[in-house]
Amino acid sequence: MVVDRELVEHMSNPHNYGTLEDADAIGIGENPENGEKVIVYLKVEENEGAPRIAEIRFQAIACMTTVVAGSIITKEAEGVDFETGEELIAVTLGMLENYSPEEAACSEMVAVALKAAMDHYGLKKSEPERPAVSYKIEQSCVAEPTVNPLESEEQN
Amino acid sequence: MKTLLVKTHEAWLATLMAALMSRTTENKRVLTEFSDILWRHFTWIEHDLIRRGIDYDYNRENIPIKVERLKVMLADVIRRLNDLEILLVRCEDTALKERIRTDLEYMRYALGKLEDEEVKAFDMNRRYRKIELDQEATDALTLFLFEESYKEYELIMIYNYLKAHSDDAFLNRIFQILIDESFFHLRSFGEMMAEMGILGVPRVIHESLYKVADIEKFLLDGIEEEIAAKEQCKELSDAVASKSDELAKFFDFINYQENYHIELMREAVAHFRAKRVDG
Repeated sequence: MVVDRELVEHMSNPHNYGTLEDADAIGIGENPENGEKVIVYLKVEENEGAPRIAEIRFQAIACMTTVVAGSIITKEAEGVDFETGEELIAVTLGMLENYSPEEAACSEMVAVALKAAMDHYGLKKSEPERPAVSYKIEQSCVAEPTVNPLESEEQN
Repeated sequence: MKTLLVKTHEAWLATLMAALMSRTTENKRVLTEFSDILWRHFTWIEHDLIRRGIDYDYNRENIPIKVERLKVMLADVIRRLNDLEILLVRCEDTALKERIRTDLEYMRYALGKLEDEEVKAFDMNRRYRKIELDQEATDALTLFLFEESYKEYELIMIYNYLKAHSDDAFLNRIFQILIDESFFHLRSFGEMMAEMGILGVPRVIHESLYKVADIEKFLLDGIEEEIAAKEQCKELSDAVASKSDELAKFFDFINYQENYHIELMREAVAHFRAKRVDG
C-alpha cells in the first residue's frame, strides 16, 4: 500500500468513525476467516418513498486497511439515495480484483456491511424488531500460518 | 457517574496526546504525569461503578487534537477538567469525590502556567530523528505505528476491563504487567508518531472486544496476535536495519518484550485451566 498524505489523513482521522444513537438500520460485514468485522449504522430520510442516507457511521474490529476503506466508502455514501448507494457498492465490489488480497477483503467487508445496513432498513419496514443484518465476505485475506499458541517455538 | 467515566476517559486521552505533541521537556513531564493521574481517576470511577452494580462501557466521543499551538490543546484540556468538576457532583463516594476535585483544581492551575509552544506533530514530515529511510521503509513504519498504537490502546482497555472484573490475584498481577507494558509501547509509538508529524488518537474500541465471554479463548487468540506482532517487529527491524541501526535495535527491543508477554499469557491460560480442573 502506498502511503500518501490522504491515506495518513484517513488513518489519523477516519471519516464517520463511531456509532449512531437510535440508528434506523445496522449492517455487519464479516470475514469468516479471521472474525474481523465492520458495523455500519445508518440514519435514513425518505423523500416521496425514496430512502436517502442522512447520516452514516462505522466501526471496525479489524486492521487499519479496513478503517481506511471505511473512511473512504462511508464518505462517498454520505447523503446519497439508496439507488446511488447500491451503485457505490457495485462499483466497489467490481474493483476488488485490482487490489491486493488484504485490501480487497477489507473493502469488500465495508461494502457488504453497507449493503447489509441498507437491506436491514428495507426489512424493518415489514418487521420493525428485525435485528441487524450480517453478510460474510467472499474475498480471502492474506493467509496467515496456523500456529498452536501454546506450543510454537520462538523464532527470535 | 457513567458520564463522569466517559468524560474522564476523554480527558485522559486528550492530556496524553498533549504530552506526546509537546517537545518541551517540562511541558511533556507535567502533561504525562497529569495524564497518568487522570487514568487513575478513570480506574477508581470504574471501580465505584462496579461496586454499585452500574453497567458501563468504554464508548466515548472522538477527540480532536489537530492544533498548531500547544496553548490551544491546553485550553481544551482545562475545559475538559472544568466539565469533570461539574459532573463530580454525582459522585457519592465523598473521599473519591474530594480526591478528584482537589486534583482537578491543582491540574487546572498548573496547566495554566505551562509555556506555549509550536506543535509540529501533525505536519506529516514522516521523518524520524533525521534517519534517511526509503519510501517503502517509511510507509511500512507509518502503517506499523498507526496499527500498533491502536492495538496498544486496545490492550490497555481490555486488560483493564478484565482486571476490574476479576478478584483473582494471580491473573490480576499478569493483567497489570500487560497494562503497564502497553502503556510504555503506546507512549513510545506515540512519541515516534508525533516526531513524524502523524500523531492520531486511537479509535474507539468496540464493546465486544473487552466484554469478553471466554477469557481462555481471548488469551489464546491474544498469544497468536503477539506472535504476529513479533513477526511484524522483526520485518520492520529488517526493513530499516540497513538505514538505521538505532531503529532496528528499537524494534528488536520491542520484539523481545513480546516474548515475556506471551509467556505471561501462557501462564494465565495454564492458571485458568488448573482452576477449571480444581472446580
